[in-house]
Amino acid sequence: MEERRSISDIYGGRLALQRRSYSPSCREFCLGCPRLSLRSLTAATCAVWLVAYGLFALCQNSMVLSTAIFITLLGLLGYLHFVKIDQETLLIIGSLGIQMTSSYASGKESTTFIEMGKVKDVVINEAIYMQKVIYYLCILLKDPVEPQRVSQVVPVFQSAKPRLDCLIEVYRSCQEILAHQAVTSTSP
Amino acid sequence: MTKPHLNMAYRKVNGHGQSITSKPSHTNCGIHLLRRTGTHNICMVSDFFYPNMGGVESHIYQLSQCLIERGHKVIIVTHAYGNRKGIRYLTSGLKVYYLPLKVMYNQSTATTLFHSLPLLRYIFVRERVTIIHSHSSFSAMAHDALFHAKTMGLQTVFTDHSLFGFADVSSVLTNKLLTVSLCDTNHIICVSYTSKENTVLRAALNPEIVSVIPNAVDPTDFTPDPFRRDDSVITIVVISRLVYRKGIDLLSGIIPELCQKYSDLNFIVGGEGPKRIILEEVRERYQLHDRVRLLGALEHQDVRDVLVQGHIFLNTSLTEAFCMAIVEAASCGLQVKSCEYQVGGIPEVLPDNLIILCEPSVKSLCNGLEKAISQLKSGTLPDPEKIHNRVKTFYTWRNVAERTEKVYDRVSREAVLPMDKRLNRLISHCGPVTGCTFALLAVLNFLFLIFLRWLTPDSVIDIAVDATGPQGAWTQQYSFSKKGEDNKEISESR
Repeated sequence: MEERRSISDIYGGRLALQRRSYSPSCREFCLGCPRLSLRSLTAATCAVWLVAYGLFALCQNSMVLSTAIFITLLGLLGYLHFVKIDQETLLIIGSLGIQMTSSYASGKESTTFIEMGKVKDVVINEAIYMQKVIYYLCILLKDPVEPQRVSQVVPVFQSAKPRLDCLIEVYRSCQEILAHQAVTSTSP
Repeated sequence: MTKPHLNMAYRKVNGHGQSITSKPSHTNCGIHLLRRTGTHNICMVSDFFYPNMGGVESHIYQLSQCLIERGHKVIIVTHAYGNRKGIRYLTSGLKVYYLPLKVMYNQSTATTLFHSLPLLRYIFVRERVTIIHSHSSFSAMAHDALFHAKTMGLQTVFTDHSLFGFADVSSVLTNKLLTVSLCDTNHIICVSYTSKENTVLRAALNPEIVSVIPNAVDPTDFTPDPFRRDDSVITIVVISRLVYRKGIDLLSGIIPELCQKYSDLNFIVGGEGPKRIILEEVRERYQLHDRVRLLGALEHQDVRDVLVQGHIFLNTSLTEAFCMAIVEAASCGLQVKSCEYQVGGIPEVLPDNLIILCEPSVKSLCNGLEKAISQLKSGTLPDPEKIHNRVKTFYTWRNVAERTEKVYDRVSREAVLPMDKRLNRLISHCGPVTGCTFALLAVLNFLFLIFLRWLTPDSVIDIAVDATGPQGAWTQQYSFSKKGEDNKEISESR
């Protein structure tokens, strides 16, 4: 079962939410960010080149221009490889754990897996972020020594930053699966 | 990319997992409540809030709690204290925003009039605030919030907690700023009539928009306990910050004089400050180590334990808008004696038979104290329990909240000044130079607000889930449960 929807992020931009339900205890949420637009790429390149030409006009040194070429190329590569995230996926399997995958624009993927035994809860929290106060979804991890305490908070959908309505939807699904898991694990 | 502040206290949005799911079913009842009582969404702004300790802090906290009890939605905005930044919930869902703004001087934030607008606007919009209530004229953040709220067209209330002089340079400057800040504020609350007079003069206000609502004490925290004190000697208690304004120089004058006269007289001094060295010198010079005890800084919960050890409470403040300390002392059943000064609000605080007032001079204070001691020895002083029962009825927070609510009701019916009238008011009220400067700043602030609205329109800002108020998730969840569970929930969130 697959469902596709367009939602908005905290800046008012568009995001694509894909929801796949494989079984009652296994669901996947996929948030796709818009691709790198030609406009912002052009703007960034132009800015670097204009500064470089300004410096060149002042000091008449052609080194400036070659540096500018390297800065643009390396900057673009670095941005695509380390910063720009195209898609973020949250896969939750009741009996196994939670997996978060972010795929970068260059094709690189980074995956974090948290086994169910370590997950204490999934909650929505508020934080002050830049000049905003936003809601975000996060996973609370159990302290291995004291199971009642929380050792770490892992934020989900860090780069997409969807709005509260989307978070509540994901949150409810997660809670359903967690509750289902709690029932099955206590019964023999 | 910057991560959200992860080191702030994590907190579930609604305490329990399922509460968001259960929320819509209560909406109808919420709207019904809203119609019946006409509740407000109030935002308290001040630089001073817990964990910092003081009168303003406890005033804001107690007032908010009582307003929540009356069904209003209340949030508090303050600046970050060390590691305490982000959003926290206190008892009965009181939400506190600790904003990461730079602290300049004496726990007050720096002000540029503009840099706090994006965050404050975001909070006002997401919490759907209708009334901004700022506290304390020393707080730069409170004035900033007033300025922004007026730009955004929200109703504003200001509470002044302190008295000022008129003579020296610093007070002339602060008075000018206060004039600017208060000239277009909807309503001002003062804690005593003296303070009202002072504020009206300082800020050149129309007295009709200034109300007097005194502070209150929690009488259950300050109960007398006559068995704790040693009746073989007479103990005089002084609790105040040891600074010039509290008259510590007078205190250092009367301690040796009275100690020579009465052999059974002891002093207990609680508090910390730059003038402590004077008291230590006096103690050293007259060899009074066993009779004058300096306790240093006291936690608020320890104050009562110190108060009940004494027979007489001495307050030497030179100026005080509303002296909380003497009400607390009287509530503990002590005979209060205080220094009267021309611009003090002390005389109106307690009835004459509970307090002895003196001129601020060593001689007059000694006479007053001798009178109190002779009364004590002859046994004509009223019983501590009786004093407590009388004082208990004078100042309660519920009463304060009721009266503040009336101010809110009145303010919410008033119209907020539109921009052109506001500019006129600024220019005509605050003198040509200051008025024009601040009118220009107001225009700039308005343009900045338009820019911010273009950058992030109000429709993009998520409406926050209410913790308190008619549709408060917290109130609905816990109104029928025991208080103990509440406390557990809070200690979990810490």
